[in-house]
Amino acid sequence: MDADTAIGGPDGRFPSTHVSLIEAAASGLSEAAMDKVIALYWKPVYRFIRIKFQKSNEDAKDLTQGFFASALQRDFFPRFDPTKASFRTYIRMAVERYAANQHGAENRQKRGGGVEFETVEDQEIATESPELEFDREWRRQLFFLALDDLRAHCEQTGKRAQFSIFEDYDLSDRDRLSYSDLAVKYGIPESTVNNHLAWARRTLRAFITERLRGTTSGARELHEEMRRLWK
Amino acid sequence: MNKIVVGLIFGLILGAIDGATALFYPETRPVIVGIMIGSSFKGMLVGLFSGWFARKVRSTGWGIVVGSSLGLLFAFIVAVMDASKGKPHYLEIMLPGFVVGAIVGFLTQRMGTPAVAKSGA
Amino acid sequence: MEVSDSVLDHLRQVIALPDLTGTRYELESEIGRGGMGVVYAARDRELDRRVALKVLEVPITGEAQLIARLEHPSIVPIFETGTLADGRSFYAMKLMSGARLDRYAADTHTLSERLRVLRSVGEALAYAHSQGVIHRDLKPQNVMVGEFGEVYVMDWGVDAVAGTAGFRAPESTMDRLSDVYALGALLKFLVSASDSPAVAAIAEKAMSTDRRQRYDSVSAFLADIDRFEQGLAVEAWSEPIWHRLRRFASRNAVLLWLVAAYTLVKFLLFFLRKF
Repeated sequence: MDADTAIGGPDGRFPSTHVSLIEAAASGLSEAAMDKVIALYWKPVYRFIRIKFQKSNEDAKDLTQGFFASALQRDFFPRFDPTKASFRTYIRMAVERYAANQHGAENRQKRGGGVEFETVEDQEIATESPELEFDREWRRQLFFLALDDLRAHCEQTGKRAQFSIFEDYDLSDRDRLSYSDLAVKYGIPESTVNNHLAWARRTLRAFITERLRGTTSGARELHEEMRRLWK
Repeated sequence: MNKIVVGLIFGLILGAIDGATALFYPETRPVIVGIMIGSSFKGMLVGLFSGWFARKVRSTGWGIVVGSSLGLLFAFIVAVMDASKGKPHYLEIMLPGFVVGAIVGFLTQRMGTPAVAKSGA
Repeated sequence: MEVSDSVLDHLRQVIALPDLTGTRYELESEIGRGGMGVVYAARDRELDRRVALKVLEVPITGEAQLIARLEHPSIVPIFETGTLADGRSFYAMKLMSGARLDRYAADTHTLSERLRVLRSVGEALAYAHSQGVIHRDLKPQNVMVGEFGEVYVMDWGVDAVAGTAGFRAPESTMDRLSDVYALGALLKFLVSASDSPAVAAIAEKAMSTDRRQRYDSVSAFLADIDRFEQGLAVEAWSEPIWHRLRRFASRNAVLLWLVAAYTLVKFLLFFLRKF
């Protein structure tokens, strides 16, 4: 993950006070609620623009910034109708409209000048459709934020051991230690390893739920999105 | 309706019709009333026994077998009595009797209340 | 914190698994996945038996107790309901073996066998309605056919998140008539229109958009199926005359054959008597 795209990144606060988008919108969508939306959606929006409209890193960042700025100015959130689509889909379609308008305006300026339009420089990208990539990035970002919440929570409540075991096992990218190896490493019984892991996963799940609650319209959409996460 | 009653009624009707077909034969026309009465009586006997059987056994196949056998038996008796009066008509009497018996046996299976209905089945 | 694809997949997997801490169950394997939740095979440690655990994202509604009280040979018995440590809710129920109706229907079965399955589903529905329970989400995925032909209807009264297209009645408030609609859709699913126009008409009637045009109860629906199976005219269809004759002929085939035999015998005897 490039550091330069981590704008509006993790806020690290304990998120038990998340309210649904609708509740937040009713109270004029407080800044904190907007922060949560941006924290979760900045990267997916950026990636989507970059792939769909073949923008450079800088252009995509500008467009993303512009999108959220214009969303805040116009009554973007009050216009969201949860009976028609999920908030995730609503955002994606709004981004597409916004970026297409901007893109079109840019092209009109360029027309006649014979200027080729910029291609993406670093091609790590896009074997998947922009829509799939948007969803994938959304999911990744959601886990990323929830993991951060979990770590902060563990630090605040003195559960470093739990987090270390979780990090060693569930966040390990290479060969995982077995439960018994972990028991030896931390000098605790295997059943405790099991319990710590169960606790950490459960808590991570709760943070994910909370993050989602803050960016969905209510119970129905929340459950739908939860279900979609595991698919 | 009781299956025995069904057997008696259909035996009577079909027996009468079967007897009435003797009208096609000029030589039997003079004795047509006797033939129709005899044929109806024979039909009723077949119906009586078929109906009684249908109360005991619920099976269309067996109903037809029993009905046709009874039809054949009684037609044979009639044919023997007829032969004693002169020229025998075994085929003419027994073959239709056989089929009418089958029809009566079938109808007693299909129609009327079975005796077991009292048990609520 | 870096989240690579493989870590993400792993996390999604482990977090999706139900957290059975504090319950009497041990997870065995996933056995099914539907619109409403995931079903796992689990072992009940206390009673040492296998059960099916249905884990739902949505909370179980107040109807659960009512549903748990349903006792019918075609209704899967629920042993327990509860909330998991991770906040999800679950049902523990009898573990079934057999094929889901969508798979069952893919095999070849006779019309009367298919109607037998439908009748079992209908009888379970009629019973549930008599107990004040509405299914709300009847569809092939919620019906199982066991290896001995036993039929089970599952997932009672769970308010479907999105409903199931093709099986959900158009009205917004679900009631008994919505179940009649779904049963009609199930009939349509099981029997193709070319099998029998009368059965297709029964399905059509049950699936009327205008609720007043539907059968007013599941029992009325089943009664029409009965009429069809007995070779009688069905309420749902005003049949053309040729169909009525054909139905009469097939109902009375044996009698017609016997009468034909009699006529033939008489004719032969009449024409052969001169020889």
